Amino acid sequence: MIALPSIAFGGFSGSAKGVTARQVAGRSILSLKCYPTGVATGAQLARRASLKKIAKSWVTLTNEQRQEWDRLAEHATGASSLGQKAELSGMNLYVRLNANRVMAGESVLASAPAGQVAVPNVDFTQVVVTPQLIVLGGVKHEPSPNKLVVKMSGNQSAGVSNGWSKTVIITPGMEDDWGEADVTHLYLKTIGVEPVPGQKVFVEAYWLDTATGFAGQTTRTSVIVTGESPYQRRVKATMDNLDPTEESHVSELDVDFSTGAPVAQFDAQCLGHSNVASSEVYLDQPLPSEIIGTGVAIGRSNDNDGHINAQSYLVYMYNRNGKSQLTFAHRGGPYYTHTEVFGTGIIY
Amino acid sequence: MFNSISNNFGAPQIQFKDYQAPNYVVLNGKVTFDPTNAAYQACDQLEITVPDLTIDRSTIGGVFVRFIETQTYSWGDSIYDGGTVLKSWIKDKNTIVVEKQPWFDQNGPLILYFVTMYAQLNQGANTIKGTKQRLTVTTEGNYLRFSSDTFVVVFDHWVFMHLQFSSCSYAYRDSPWEATLEEMPANVTADVPVPGGGNQFHQDCFGMGECHIENKIFTMDRRVMGFWDTGREPFAFAFLVREGEEPEPEPAEE
Repeated sequence: MIALPSIAFGGFSGSAKGVTARQVAGRSILSLKCYPTGVATGAQLARRASLKKIAKSWVTLTNEQRQEWDRLAEHATGASSLGQKAELSGMNLYVRLNANRVMAGESVLASAPAGQVAVPNVDFTQVVVTPQLIVLGGVKHEPSPNKLVVKMSGNQSAGVSNGWSKTVIITPGMEDDWGEADVTHLYLKTIGVEPVPGQKVFVEAYWLDTATGFAGQTTRTSVIVTGESPYQRRVKATMDNLDPTEESHVSELDVDFSTGAPVAQFDAQCLGHSNVASSEVYLDQPLPSEIIGTGVAIGRSNDNDGHINAQSYLVYMYNRNGKSQLTFAHRGGPYYTHTEVFGTGIIY
Repeated sequence: MFNSISNNFGAPQIQFKDYQAPNYVVLNGKVTFDPTNAAYQACDQLEITVPDLTIDRSTIGGVFVRFIETQTYSWGDSIYDGGTVLKSWIKDKNTIVVEKQPWFDQNGPLILYFVTMYAQLNQGANTIKGTKQRLTVTTEGNYLRFSSDTFVVVFDHWVFMHLQFSSCSYAYRDSPWEATLEEMPANVTADVPVPGGGNQFHQDCFGMGECHIENKIFTMDRRVMGFWDTGREPFAFAFLVREGEEPEPEPAEE
């Protein structure tokens, strides 16, 4: 984009041969039509289509709604160019905020938000990038409706100091998982290539207020990919850890031992089996020996017959042959095979 | 101990006993509310505003809900109390949330029992194992018996208790019960829900009673008709706050 101070172009507006002239706040701005370089990813294509669709929907708004957007735009500022803050039109703001919302899986807002929202900056303590693990750690949690947007580059030479133009959206809006943003799967799905030790990866992150579409300041960092990392993943038993060679009797599983307290956090949908009042779960790796013991958790029936009664469960944990087994054994209350076992549970 | 500031479901002020660590909170409290009130009917989830907690969010814990139902017959009253467990969590430093379920909206008033621990995750350390102590339950003539899964895990400021009822001498089935829980710290006082027991009028949730624990003494006066029905397994599951210092044991006589 070129801003021309020359009076020679003052008052010009309109497009010709790929050049557009317009007047914004007394400035004459000439824009060359931009064409994307490189092969667009699926996500980029989807975003461009979304932008086009949102822009077209501007005409469907009522006059009052457009005026609301214009009023909000008067107080909102766009990216700075040539030392002057660019002013946004109501339509620019409508497209920008709604594009953010759509990216995060929300619908298009017809009415403008009541005002500009101060979105917090992303605060994290570490970024780990190895071929097997890509995670932002120590993320300071921000409550809903804030969601974390992470952009990353593929492998760059370690000597590259500015690779921000290479970043693409890895996650369009995730909630941190108790201070951890594990984007390993999303990174591999988006970039398609594992990080290579010794190469550099550029990382950008910002919070997105999904209620309004306003985004916070982008936090940027770059990291050299390492072969391994001392980063300790939380001890959990999830569906991803199930031993595929064994039959487990749960349809959902998330037992988290990272409480630092005398309890684990249970969340399992038990299905029962073989007319015994228990559900077995087999994990493909052993659990740390210091947590092996017996858990006690509460449950609530949720079968198709409408049972909703409370139950109690003992959760026996074993390590055997390099794997582990959890047995959710019914104790208190009427037993029904389909039971959700949940909540904090003591371990002894 | 603290009092709730307000709530969005038309309940009175709730007094909570609490133990608050930097990474978890144990709360005990009991409140009765009318589910026909407009505030309850308008809310999507039950929210209780409280003074600052030590944690600003938590994972899920269990809060019990109970209704009282007495059927009167020519031969006397029959008890069909029921209830279940609801999910509860700390939403922010000042808000405790309990999920709203419509199951008992026609059975009010409803009683909520907080015998609950709220924990946090990714705390930089794994679960710390406690030590199980089998509870020795003594009654006069040993009329009330519990299964081997009746135990406590005792900590300095709170106790986890799991009771599982086993049997009762026939002569005492309709009497008020009183028993001593030998390993229970004396500084625990709480009303504790007792889910389980058959309930012919509520076969979705079955029974729920209430016991009281104070100075190591367990009492339970009101029980559902089907308390001892086969396979209904009455039990208690509770995180209980200890109050103040443990009383000094009386000196042994010389």
